[in-house]
Amino acid sequence: MQTVKMVISGAVNAGKTEFIRSISEIEVVSTERRATDDTRMIKKETTVAMDFGRIAIGNDLVLHLFGTPGQKRFDFMWEILSEGMLGLVILVDSTRPETFRETNRIIDFFISYRDTAYVIAANKQDRPNAWSPEELRLALRQPPHVKVLPCVASDRESVKNVLLELLYVIQERSEE
Amino acid sequence: MALVGNIRDFGLSDFLYLVDRGDKTGGLYLSHGQETALLFFEKGKLVMAVRRPEDQQPDLLVRLGLLSDSQLARARASLAMRGNGATLTEVILAENLAPREQLQGTLQNFSEEAVYGLFGWPEGEFRFEQNQRPDPAAPTIPSPISVDHLIMEGVRRIDEWGRIRDRIPSTDLVVRFLDQPGVRVRGVKLSAEEWRVFARINGRDSLAEIAQKTSLSEFDVCRIVYGFLTAGLVEVAKRARPLPLERSGAIEQPRLKRSLVNRIINRIKGL
Repeated sequence: MQTVKMVISGAVNAGKTEFIRSISEIEVVSTERRATDDTRMIKKETTVAMDFGRIAIGNDLVLHLFGTPGQKRFDFMWEILSEGMLGLVILVDSTRPETFRETNRIIDFFISYRDTAYVIAANKQDRPNAWSPEELRLALRQPPHVKVLPCVASDRESVKNVLLELLYVIQERSEE
Repeated sequence: MALVGNIRDFGLSDFLYLVDRGDKTGGLYLSHGQETALLFFEKGKLVMAVRRPEDQQPDLLVRLGLLSDSQLARARASLAMRGNGATLTEVILAENLAPREQLQGTLQNFSEEAVYGLFGWPEGEFRFEQNQRPDPAAPTIPSPISVDHLIMEGVRRIDEWGRIRDRIPSTDLVVRFLDQPGVRVRGVKLSAEEWRVFARINGRDSLAEIAQKTSLSEFDVCRIVYGFLTAGLVEVAKRARPLPLERSGAIEQPRLKRSLVNRIINRIKGL
């Protein structure tokens, strides 16, 4: 059985757990615990380890989805998770500009050393005052070739669209 | 729809960059304690900035010595007759009530100083109302001014490591020009000290090495490079890790067969 891996990353409360839940075929394996640090101010339960989802592609192939921990103190996990990944989705809470710097730090981390295929998902586009994908592109200083996609992580079709757009990027870079 | 936030989290220079690169038109409202500010942009350029609500009024032109009371009254009367679309500034210029250079210079300086003061705010709520324009009778700058220059000068006045550290966490980072730095440099005026740093940027030397070569302090080099960063001239990056076989650049992920990627695409489509 061959497995391939996609990583879903983003700042605390960006919507990583919800994103994986919306698309995974299995009940998401999540190690959520009651937050004990300042993330409690943002949400009562937040991901302190990681989420894991799975989509069977065929009898011989399975896609694993890993959600990274959001907090800085767990960023040592990012490097471990990023090894051998097929591609990366960076989720951004479009309604919270205070998380954009942290999002940039995460993007920098993942793309500094690896030639990683990635897209940015502008989550919570259904909320009032959500920054549009193009405004997010400017705020995150992303070049035009990077896809910044509208997303609502609780909506399966929206999540599918983000994954497909990432796969098209990967497809362009794949071997015949 | 308004863009809202706090400049503690999304800095003023970041927001000005967004306005510039997005060719935004609108009004930016800022508040910090008892202080307020209002900036108007037209297609990414600043047309007016005031720190007090009364400075949006036409009599600012009298207080700045640009017009007499009678000239202002005449301009306002003409504006009322012209009706839709005209602005007080256009009327003043059309009727030669003040020399263009004087109007431009004085209002530009007034607005720039209003903006520079904002760079010292550690925090402050902001709200950007897209497509909102100043009142036609407001004292707007005849030729809107580039935001690039505002960022450079504003950042020049920042003297705090904290904000710099957000963008430059280590002096081990290397500095390199963006793809087309020449285009960006046009609107920016560099001091002699900034030129010294600018000339040392080669994509290989770290900030610490540039400090050594220029005999500037690491703080001064970081402050200057922070200005370049916020103006979109350069980027900083980690030095590439030494790799086996003397390869350089980013590590390439293993490439997949297209047929396998196509299978995943078809599966996701079918979910």
